[in-house]
Amino acid sequence: MDKRSFKSRYQLACNRKSFLGLTRESALKGLFGGNAFVSIVVLGLITLFLFKEGAGFFGQYRDSLLLYRQSGLEYVELMRGQQNALSALTRYLNSIRSRQVEKLAEEGYDFQESRAITEESEDFFYDFEDLAVPLREHVIEANEILSAARDSYQEMQNLSEHRKSLLESGRQDEADALEIREIDFALFFDIVKSRESEYIEINENLIRGIEEILPSVPYFGDAELQAKTERFKELAEMFIEEVSKFEENVLAWERARSVPISEAFTSFIFGKKWVTNSSIQDWYGLIPLMSGSFLVALVAMFFAVPLGIGAAIYVNQVARSLERDLIKPYIEFISAIPSVVIGFFGIAVFGTLIREVSGWESLAWIDFFPISERLNAFTAGGLLALMAIPTIFTLAEDALNNVPLSYKEASMAMGSTRLQTILRIIVPTALSGIISAVLLGFGRVIGETMVVLLCAGNRIEIPRFAEGIGVVFEPVHTMTGIIAQELGEVVHGSMHYRALFMVGLVLFLISLLINYFAQKIVMKFQISRG
Amino acid sequence: MSPSKTVVRESMEKSLFGKSTKSKVVERLVFALFRLSTYFVLLCAATIFVDIVYKGGKTVFRSEFPFLNVEFLSDSPQTLHVFEHQGRKYEMSDSKFRSFREGIDEPIVTETYAYSGGGIWPCIAGTLLLVAGAMIIAMTLGVLSAIFLSEYSRPGKILNAVRLSILNLAGVPSIVFGIFGMGMFVLAFGWNVSLIAGWFTLAFMVLPIIISASEESMRAIPQGMRDASFALGATQWTTIRTNVLPYAMPGILTSSIIGVARVAGETAPIMFTAAYALRDQLPWEGLERWYDLFFQGVMALPYHIYVVSAKIPQNEYTSRMQYGTAFVFLFIIAAIALSSILLRIRMRKKYRW
Repeated sequence: MDKRSFKSRYQLACNRKSFLGLTRESALKGLFGGNAFVSIVVLGLITLFLFKEGAGFFGQYRDSLLLYRQSGLEYVELMRGQQNALSALTRYLNSIRSRQVEKLAEEGYDFQESRAITEESEDFFYDFEDLAVPLREHVIEANEILSAARDSYQEMQNLSEHRKSLLESGRQDEADALEIREIDFALFFDIVKSRESEYIEINENLIRGIEEILPSVPYFGDAELQAKTERFKELAEMFIEEVSKFEENVLAWERARSVPISEAFTSFIFGKKWVTNSSIQDWYGLIPLMSGSFLVALVAMFFAVPLGIGAAIYVNQVARSLERDLIKPYIEFISAIPSVVIGFFGIAVFGTLIREVSGWESLAWIDFFPISERLNAFTAGGLLALMAIPTIFTLAEDALNNVPLSYKEASMAMGSTRLQTILRIIVPTALSGIISAVLLGFGRVIGETMVVLLCAGNRIEIPRFAEGIGVVFEPVHTMTGIIAQELGEVVHGSMHYRALFMVGLVLFLISLLINYFAQKIVMKFQISRG
Repeated sequence: MSPSKTVVRESMEKSLFGKSTKSKVVERLVFALFRLSTYFVLLCAATIFVDIVYKGGKTVFRSEFPFLNVEFLSDSPQTLHVFEHQGRKYEMSDSKFRSFREGIDEPIVTETYAYSGGGIWPCIAGTLLLVAGAMIIAMTLGVLSAIFLSEYSRPGKILNAVRLSILNLAGVPSIVFGIFGMGMFVLAFGWNVSLIAGWFTLAFMVLPIIISASEESMRAIPQGMRDASFALGATQWTTIRTNVLPYAMPGILTSSIIGVARVAGETAPIMFTAAYALRDQLPWEGLERWYDLFFQGVMALPYHIYVVSAKIPQNEYTSRMQYGTAFVFLFIIAAIALSSILLRIRMRKKYRW
């Protein structure tokens, strides 16, 4: 051993090869660090990107709402509200008539005979329908004038954009050749507004007309039909009272009122309509989708929470070890079933099964059975429960497993039974873990796409919660479903595209919130195990 | 022991333990309820498995040699023609039908069912390509990041925040990653619907899961093992290579296999980024330049299931295709999931401290 190597024995750094001033150690560290940096940046970028694409939505939506107001279409829509109420009334009346025809057929009358019977009351039905005509025509005319103005305004806007791009590319002559007119909405609106007195007159006639013919409502000998006609009278009187309210709103409407950005925000978050590709106005309201999502999730949690926690308690505390070793991997295995397969099962088997079961004689006492739609919130919720159970089970079982054995032993030594120990000692101790398991299961259900897309029925309407439990058998649409369904056909950068990004952002925030609370609960209520 | 003593003892035991009290009855009832709920869950899942395996098996398997429906596994999806010719009923996929028709002069009236003929080979190939690419990206980024976070980074507030946000991102719905991938890769980067856009979307979807699971399994290794290695003069990398990675391997492997199952099973992220409903060519056919491979859409099993179950009506001919696809898909996913569960059980027995 020569002197030099002896000296360097104690200077470990001398042995290290370096390349471009980097030793292997620091190069490796740089590699790992670089990767970590890239991952974190990318994951941060996802959040930023969602915000960036979504944020533009409110500006566009506000412009659209402003156009809707300035063009006066909002004014027409107020009148149309009244028209819709009236036609709902007419529809109800028609349902009485068709019920009458059905009943006659049941009683064994042939077509000619029943025709003769229904003819007696026919005049009343026609008279009532005629009452609705003037209002409808007034609304249609106003709508035609204003939407023509709106359409040509949009055309002009497109033209001026086209002109701008022509100018940018230096094609001056072509740009000059474009004829761009200014559209003055006030002009068009004044035409409509000037006929407001006509509208009031129409309403007066309408009320008078209804009041005149209401006493001549036909009399049916049948109790059911009679009850219906009584109900119709009530509804008609309610409508008459409402007319003045509609009128008030129409008269008080102002074209000049501006649309603040907050209105765009509230009409997204609290909006009750999600209407796209409409000829009058597109609406992007979150409530129908969100209520659908939550309804499906509630149904799923209704099944998943008791079953998941029950199974966790059973496997962790009651089952023999062989049973445990088989059941645990099996349930983990369930969590690996792809959602699209479960959705397919829902379409092919489960939905039809539910509808068949609802048609059973023995279940006829339930007033919303038999159900008409095989794909509804219940179908989707029932299947989603199966997807949430493994999540809830695994996490809850973990939480139960973390309860120290000494707790159990102490409780048993006091003479309590196993059940008492489980319910009074083990479950309360593990409660924080169980709650966070339920929360994470809920998060999984809210974020699930394919099952709801395939099985929830996809009807964009707020479920009628007023109808009680039967609401779970209504088809709904969900936040995840709407993205999956509509994203394929939107134009890049359009308002619709950005609206879908906003929905995605809301989903993102909901899932972050759920995760955050799940972690908070675990940390906050953790018992000390000293 | 005299016989009389034994009798006394037995009766004592009976009075102590054998007596049926109210609380014992309640206990037995409640336990029965728990057991019932557990087995109900298992039964529900089994129903799905049995239904799909039974009905799908009819499509995939054959009663004579080679026992597998080779056409179904090797052909591409086609329209199915059902017709009667000279008193016999035929069912043919589109390509066969064309060659059959050439030999016959008279016109044939057929009923057609979209997607119901042929097979699903392009979907299987597409899914395999998607999984392979996405996992390569996700594993490289994920495991290396996890090594840095667990071994090199200094503990502190920033690290905790990073860890927390990664954990939170793991719970974000897959459709959100789908909409991100669509906006970012497909539209903003101009990659269109392509394999590479799907790779990145899927990779970023599983990245948080892989990072947090791998890091978790590295942090679970006792600090003493690292200290022992340092005390012997090993460098940090040597320590990681010899004393950390081998013990963390089971955790990393299971997390990555779970990642594979997730990547293969998710539909929502690839709906807009990588999947075509129907494509005649296989991914490697008809390429002008080698890198065109990355910039083309592919068919994928989960998306195919969605298309055939949502877009075409249910009847005897279409359901064969639907169930067959679902069966093959479920089989692949089940194989992956099962291997992860078995691997973990084996590895747990091997490494203990």
